[in-house]
Amino acid sequence: MSEAKTPTINFKQKAMELLPEGASFDACLTCGLCSSGCPASGLENMDPRKFIRMAMLGMDEELSTTPWVWTCTQCKRCQHVCPMNIDISQLVFLARGNWPKDKKPSGIVRSCELTRSTDSTSAMGLQPDDFVFVVNDVLEEVRETQPQFKDMVAPIDKKGAHFFVNQNSREPMSEPDEMVPLWKIFHLVGADWTYSSKGWAAENFCMFSGDEAAWYEVIKTRVDATNELGCAVWLNTECGHSYYTMWNAINRFGMEANFKIESLVTYYAQWIREGKLPVNSDWNTKNIKFTVQDPCQIVRKAYGDSIADDLRFVTKKLVGEENFIDMQPNRSANYCCGGGGGFLQAGMTDQRRAYGKRKFDQIMATQADYVLTPCHNCHSQMEDIGHFYGGQYQVVHFWTLICLSLGILGENERTYLGPDLANLGL
Amino acid sequence: MTYEKREFIADLAVIGSGLAGMAASIFALKRGISTAQAGNTGALAYTTGYLDLLGDAGTGAAEHLGDPWAGIRELQKSQPNHPLARVPENDIHEAFTEFTSFISECGIAYGAPGKVNLKALTPAGTTKPTFSVPATMQPGVDALASQARCVIIDFKGLRGFSGRQVVANLKDRWPGLTTERVSFPDMPMGEIYPEVMARALEVPGTREKLADAIKSVRGDAQVIGLPAILGMHNPDLVMTELSRLLGCPVFEIPTMPPSVPGIRLREMFEQVFPKKGLTLVPQQKVRSVEFDTDSVQLVLADNHGPIIIHAKAVILATGRFLSGGLEAEQTGIVEPLVNLPVAQPTSRDSWYSMEYMGRDGHAIHQCGIRVDDAFRPLDKDGKVVDPRLFAAGVILAHQDWIRGRCGAGVAISSAYRAVQGAEQIILQKNN
Ligand code: SF4
Ligand code: SF4
Repeated sequence: MSEAKTPTINFKQKAMELLPEGASFDACLTCGLCSSGCPASGLENMDPRKFIRMAMLGMDEELSTTPWVWTCTQCKRCQHVCPMNIDISQLVFLARGNWPKDKKPSGIVRSCELTRSTDSTSAMGLQPDDFVFVVNDVLEEVRETQPQFKDMVAPIDKKGAHFFVNQNSREPMSEPDEMVPLWKIFHLVGADWTYSSKGWAAENFCMFSGDEAAWYEVIKTRVDATNELGCAVWLNTECGHSYYTMWNAINRFGMEANFKIESLVTYYAQWIREGKLPVNSDWNTKNIKFTVQDPCQIVRKAYGDSIADDLRFVTKKLVGEENFIDMQPNRSANYCCGGGGGFLQAGMTDQRRAYGKRKFDQIMATQADYVLTPCHNCHSQMEDIGHFYGGQYQVVHFWTLICLSLGILGENERTYLGPDLANLGL
Repeated sequence: MTYEKREFIADLAVIGSGLAGMAASIFALKRGISTAQAGNTGALAYTTGYLDLLGDAGTGAAEHLGDPWAGIRELQKSQPNHPLARVPENDIHEAFTEFTSFISECGIAYGAPGKVNLKALTPAGTTKPTFSVPATMQPGVDALASQARCVIIDFKGLRGFSGRQVVANLKDRWPGLTTERVSFPDMPMGEIYPEVMARALEVPGTREKLADAIKSVRGDAQVIGLPAILGMHNPDLVMTELSRLLGCPVFEIPTMPPSVPGIRLREMFEQVFPKKGLTLVPQQKVRSVEFDTDSVQLVLADNHGPIIIHAKAVILATGRFLSGGLEAEQTGIVEPLVNLPVAQPTSRDSWYSMEYMGRDGHAIHQCGIRVDDAFRPLDKDGKVVDPRLFAAGVILAHQDWIRGRCGAGVAISSAYRAVQGAEQIILQKNN
């Protein structure tokens, strides 16, 4: 690490510029609801109320340099419970951006750099050509080995397709078979969709690094790619922050986007309601219990409870009403898993797991065997804290369970199922 | 990219997410009125969990009020404009019964309201008169009354609750009271919050570890008192399980805010109301209210864009200063949303009386919205502002709920009357 000095921010002044009238720090009642409800409280000897108090007292140097800003996942739960609607995450974003690049957690910085290194906007640096190759390769194999899907397609750069589908890099990069259940779902409902060779990837750690210009640049590539293909809907697949970074950026930067931004969750619910995805819970004869993790990025920070209700509707259809147990708290009041905001990439493992203890307790209180979540970060974090604290639960994607319920989940598409379900319907 | 404007149509709109707003929604749901509720997070999360009806009728008696009904009759004579003096006793009783049975059915059991005030324990080690307590706190009331041998447990790293303080102040009245301090299981970090402990106790394994820790210090106690941490979503179950593990009754004492009983209520409402068909927009402030000929329109927005609620009647339950129902400006106190006239002292100089702790309280604490007997706000000339508009809760004038220990009493009783009135309007419009 170099000796680059962290500039000092005048937090009080910045807060006045940033925060809407009536939600300024002056309005803080120091009631502590934010800290009481924040899983990052106590890490690095900091908590959201303390952050505000210190800002009010002008302790700018401490705030400009505290590593706590990398443990706050910018989940906005503090704002959600604050009677004065004070948003601390905006100041955390500011503080992150203010850190000299070589002092920021290198994992986040590197992920952002990789995202910008290719037209793919993939945080794992997967080149457009390689992505296209993997998709075609996997598709070909499925068409050959699963006769039911011999006509299935996975179009790339198809002009005028209704859905522009984004893809988390983790699948093409390290578990390509996990893309297949999603394609099967599209195939079944007859969706008109396409991947793009440009701007296809979902991840965006540039926002988490506090680098506004880089965040903009990544989103610009994706917006341009969607506009160029003339798609009506940019469809976010099961990945929370990719939705938020896109949706928020388009508004924040006033970008020209000739399409709607939607979450796959909404469509799962819609397709089930319309009978296009005839899922049911008949397979769950052992009454295996499931809970749902609401990703902050699409629930509290974006759609609100309506999408959380869709998640529950889909889950209950899939596993049976009596086999769904809600986490407490839930929906917009849910706790961040602790994997968000780049925490998984920040290399602060102890802090991340301490943060995740709340999530672990929540999951354990449900006594569920499985956690369903439409978010890759939530997925990884909940798996990690499960192993670390000794939980017995499994974490699964919705696409896995949808295809399981429909009896079309292939042999290689079962990585995340536990032994109780590993062979079901084969 | 454009935001889609979301529009909701309901018969009744409730503005405010505090106790009065929640009570209004309960009464409306019970009457089958289609309802939408919006408003910033109220002060609900700051409540102790105790539901006060009336603890001080302003007669200057040193003792707290044992019989709230006698106190209300006193108010009818001495302060006829007090909201509690304007609701028939039967209605107050019915309102409390409906309210407490609703929340009990939803998983937070409360005692049925009775004839007298209970002596409830406070974190300062004093007692206060209250009307209805959560089932998790009742054994504390009983233990004090029966003078059982009791140990109060507190925790390393927990601020806002000290067993030593509770015992020091109660010892004279309760000789069998002692205290012990333990570490909460699996919480290594410095400061720990009641909210976090309560959630952790929802996990069976944590309850077992805590019971073990308590067993080692409990001595010969017949009953065990804890700060309010007995679960968040399933308090009754957590209490029962902990009692089973310890082989004796356990109870909770409220802590300083942010306290678990308030968060419990808020989270419960936020989950239960939508399930029962109510449209809830919980964390957002209503920006404007427009009274058109056909409907009343509430304009607000959430993260996802603008929202408009159309209703036939509206209940304003936005609270006082803390939650922004009233605002103090240079020229005086205003009601910012509908711009209703606010009953208030004639000048700023008379907001506070000279003696801070003076017997008569401060004039500022009596300010608020004036209403008629149907709880419809009145204009400067004493005329009803709009027959579709009602007000409930501590935004009402002529009551000092803190001194009177009547916050829940005012909220629940006035919400009950307001819903009755709104129901009439809605029935007329629907016919
Ligand atoms: S919850 Fe809001 S008002 Fe309370 S301490 Fe936190 S920021 Fe301040
Ligand atoms: S955004 Fe989330 S992690 Fe950050 S201070 Fe608020 S509640 Fe805590």
